[in-house]
Amino acid sequence: MDDNTFASPYRRRLLFYAVILLFLFLIMQLFRLQIVTNKFYSDKSNENSIKAEVLSPPRGIFYDRNMHILVGNKPAYTLEITPAYFDSSLAPLVEKAIGENEGYISSVLDRTKKIPSFLPRKIKRDINFKALALLEENHEHFDGTKYVIELKRDYSFGINGAHLFGYTKEIDPELLRERKDQYQIGDYIGYGGIEKNYEYLVKGTKGYLYYLVDSRQRIISRYENGKKDIQPDRGYDLVLTIDKSVQKVAELAFEGKKGALVAIEPLTGEILALVSAPAFDLQEFATTTSSEFLNSLNSNVDKPMFNRATMSRNPPGSTFKMLLAITALEEGIITTKYTVTCGGSFQFGNRPFKCTHVHGSVNVTRAIEKSCNVFFYNLMLKVGLDKWSEYGSRFGFGEKTGIDISEESNGIMPSRNYFDRVYGKGKWTDGYLISLAIGQGEVVTTPVQLAQYAALLANEGKTKIPHVLKGYIDNQNNSFVPIEFGDFTVDISKETFNIIREGMRLVVEGEGTAAHIRQKKFDIAGKTGTAQNPHGENHALFIGFAPFNNPQIAVAVIVENAGYGSTHAAPIARDVMKEYLKNITTNKSELIAKNAGGIIN
Amino acid sequence: MKISYKLQDKFDLWIFIPVLLLLGISLVVIYSATTNHPFASGSFDKQFFWALISLGAFFVFYLLPSQLIRLSAVPAYVISQFLLIAVLVAGKVVKGSKSWIAVGSIGFQPSEAAKIGLILFLAYWLVAKKDELNTFKNLTVTILFAFIPTALILLEPDTGTAIVFGFISLVMIYWGGISLFGLFVVLSPVIVVFSSLFGIYALIGTLTLILIALIFFNKDLFTSVSVFVFNLAAGFIFEIVVKFLQPHQQKRIASFLDPTADPLGSGYNALQAKIAIGSGGLIGKGFMQGNQTQLRFIPEQWTDFIYCVIGEEFGFIGGLFVLSLYLIILLRLLIISKNINDDFSTLVVIGVFALFFIQLGINVGMNIGIAPVIGLTLPLLSYGGSSLFASMILLGIVFNIYRNKRLHS
Repeated sequence: MDDNTFASPYRRRLLFYAVILLFLFLIMQLFRLQIVTNKFYSDKSNENSIKAEVLSPPRGIFYDRNMHILVGNKPAYTLEITPAYFDSSLAPLVEKAIGENEGYISSVLDRTKKIPSFLPRKIKRDINFKALALLEENHEHFDGTKYVIELKRDYSFGINGAHLFGYTKEIDPELLRERKDQYQIGDYIGYGGIEKNYEYLVKGTKGYLYYLVDSRQRIISRYENGKKDIQPDRGYDLVLTIDKSVQKVAELAFEGKKGALVAIEPLTGEILALVSAPAFDLQEFATTTSSEFLNSLNSNVDKPMFNRATMSRNPPGSTFKMLLAITALEEGIITTKYTVTCGGSFQFGNRPFKCTHVHGSVNVTRAIEKSCNVFFYNLMLKVGLDKWSEYGSRFGFGEKTGIDISEESNGIMPSRNYFDRVYGKGKWTDGYLISLAIGQGEVVTTPVQLAQYAALLANEGKTKIPHVLKGYIDNQNNSFVPIEFGDFTVDISKETFNIIREGMRLVVEGEGTAAHIRQKKFDIAGKTGTAQNPHGENHALFIGFAPFNNPQIAVAVIVENAGYGSTHAAPIARDVMKEYLKNITTNKSELIAKNAGGIIN
Repeated sequence: MKISYKLQDKFDLWIFIPVLLLLGISLVVIYSATTNHPFASGSFDKQFFWALISLGAFFVFYLLPSQLIRLSAVPAYVISQFLLIAVLVAGKVVKGSKSWIAVGSIGFQPSEAAKIGLILFLAYWLVAKKDELNTFKNLTVTILFAFIPTALILLEPDTGTAIVFGFISLVMIYWGGISLFGLFVVLSPVIVVFSSLFGIYALIGTLTLILIALIFFNKDLFTSVSVFVFNLAAGFIFEIVVKFLQPHQQKRIASFLDPTADPLGSGYNALQAKIAIGSGGLIGKGFMQGNQTQLRFIPEQWTDFIYCVIGEEFGFIGGLFVLSLYLIILLRLLIISKNINDDFSTLVVIGVFALFFIQLGINVGMNIGIAPVIGLTLPLLSYGGSSLFASMILLGIVFNIYRNKRLHS
């Protein structure tokens, strides 16, 4: 027991225990830090001292189906500032040279505070030559500034393709929050079109230069002499299904117009041209995009940013007549022997529905050729909503085609359910159906749906999901990697297709509504349409394919507020077909053979 | 073997060899931490010089007549108090506290000299009051003697060194035979002050425990009440003192309670030290290979944070090796204290033991994140002439005692 004596052995023992206890504590904590949580602290330690400079990879470029460049890259000068060496009193001078407001540089530097101040950061991309010259000539005064060559998109290949390609710009903060594992502030990312949809293919892999920095973030040396550095990997180059010359003709045809065009290779679903007008100049998006430019696009009443080819919603007009004819023939409701006598008008209840002309006695072929409304009014009442609606759905109407660019509208394929929902059960009559017979009223389609419909008609019900990507080029071994798309088929008898196709052929090659677009070198089959527009001038439509015996191109055209389809839409389709077929002389079997292989030389 | 036996008889190799090893390790680690440093690259040479001087002083004190050491106790204490006052008047401010006096071109810390003065004087005093220590008067006077240098150092302010002085005094008084109740009276205010750091509930809880302890001691009412009031006062006075503390010291207290709260501020050192040690792993990153050390993430690492250089570059094994050297020294000091029959000598040895014990505990503790960062050197390892010099003189005195251990038996 304890005694209050001097230097008692008991008290010495207590001191001994205190020493043992202290060392146990110290060793336990040492063990915990260095053995148990070693990984955690190693990571922390590396985070402390290893900093990376990011190297942006070149974005993959776009080729057309014949390996012509559609979208490339070109060098641009980017101004970089290393804050640690930069005299901030010179900021106003630099800001003036690069055409930015006062305070611009400090705002960029603020945003990039997390990067060590001894590493450069991008201040402005694509600075002009005047700014470049100023910085070059007075280099000794502008410590901490330098310019590096970065690649920007090059759109100087003769076509615009704004909605098709989409554009790139610096990732906006909202998107950055979503994808901050892959992107950093200032990174470029695709917005819209192919750039967005195939971002994962074209963006490439970033490179990193690693530096050792001290506690003040000063660079001490390269980390492990650069052995751990990662070179950037350029993005995959895309080979598109687009035909550059066809795209160009289509874009020219839409100058000053509003509307859209989609051209498809029927057998493969490959999109040869896709235009939405009015468009915007992609060049403006090549580097830094001014907010005024974006605002002007967004506030424009003609909505140039809106991709009409996949998103515009309009009634298909008479181009829809073939759907009803197919339904009636395929269901055995009529044959080619069934005729209707057109007196120029159709009476339903008290209401007269007008025809374009007095057509006399017409069968189904003649009705398509002459676009006789009265024939189809009668037919609609015979077929009924349910059958028609079912066939419409089978042809892909009322839902997205699945095209591989940007956003797409569903359109509307009216059905019994749809009418019940809109008007209430039992509150609508057969009178509501009559307009549907000629593609007016509730039915709404998109140009890409119509193009798919044209492709199905051209190729007897067999195509693939419409797409713009053929494949990409793997830079590792420079080989072409094809991308497969799913089949889209509609099971309709050959006899039915023959009847319908003959009617469509006569539209151009007979006495039809588009006889004026007839070509010597090949036969065109098609159908004009004029969609009534309660808000203004009617929309002109045309769908068709060519050559008739061996269809290689199917086209859908809509020209908004233009008037008659035969006058305003059909000639555009003709020009596009003419351009695409100017060199192609192969027959159908060769075409199949060509598409079976995938390697591009 | 005969020669070595004779040597061990007069000269304790059990302590001397670990001390030499620590001095060697100190130079290696200071070299690693400072060679590439922009303004501390001369540290290795300076420390090498100080190591030689200190070894010289060690042997001088080892060979002094033992009587001389005993006689110097009172003068050493008095002179060191004057030095402590002088530094308050004429000292230069380094990192917020006045703890340095410049003599010619070199500066030294009077608080290091005062450690020697305190240990020798308390030994002298406790021997003089042997067997009468547990009177109220003697206890009060003893505590007063201990309190004078502690308070002067607190005024610099140098909290860490003040804690060391308090602890040395406590251990020596304990060794001198203070009664359990006396020890309780001395210690309880310290516990109250410490618990008050953790908020009002901890304070109330501690005061309640003290009340229970007082009932247990069963002293007369007057004594019990006065002790309790004394404790109460300590708690509240400390609250007031904290308000008058330098902001950086307040922050240090806060950052000890929650080191992650302010990682770039006062908790920075503690966090970076932990990262350095934790990332060292089992065998460390190698000499001159610690990125925390070489890239200077821990400010002034060669002084108070030298242990984390060892942890980072030599790992758990290196850290354990250094700790075991200290363990040998501490245990050996306890054994020596047992083998000496002279009262003064055994008190001095225990005083030196207490000094090594507390400085090691706090310094390594703050390096590995279990003690607050309060600016204390690691004896024999940290860079700094005054600290090394004083430590080696104290060890010289211990060796002197060891040499003469038969004289008094």
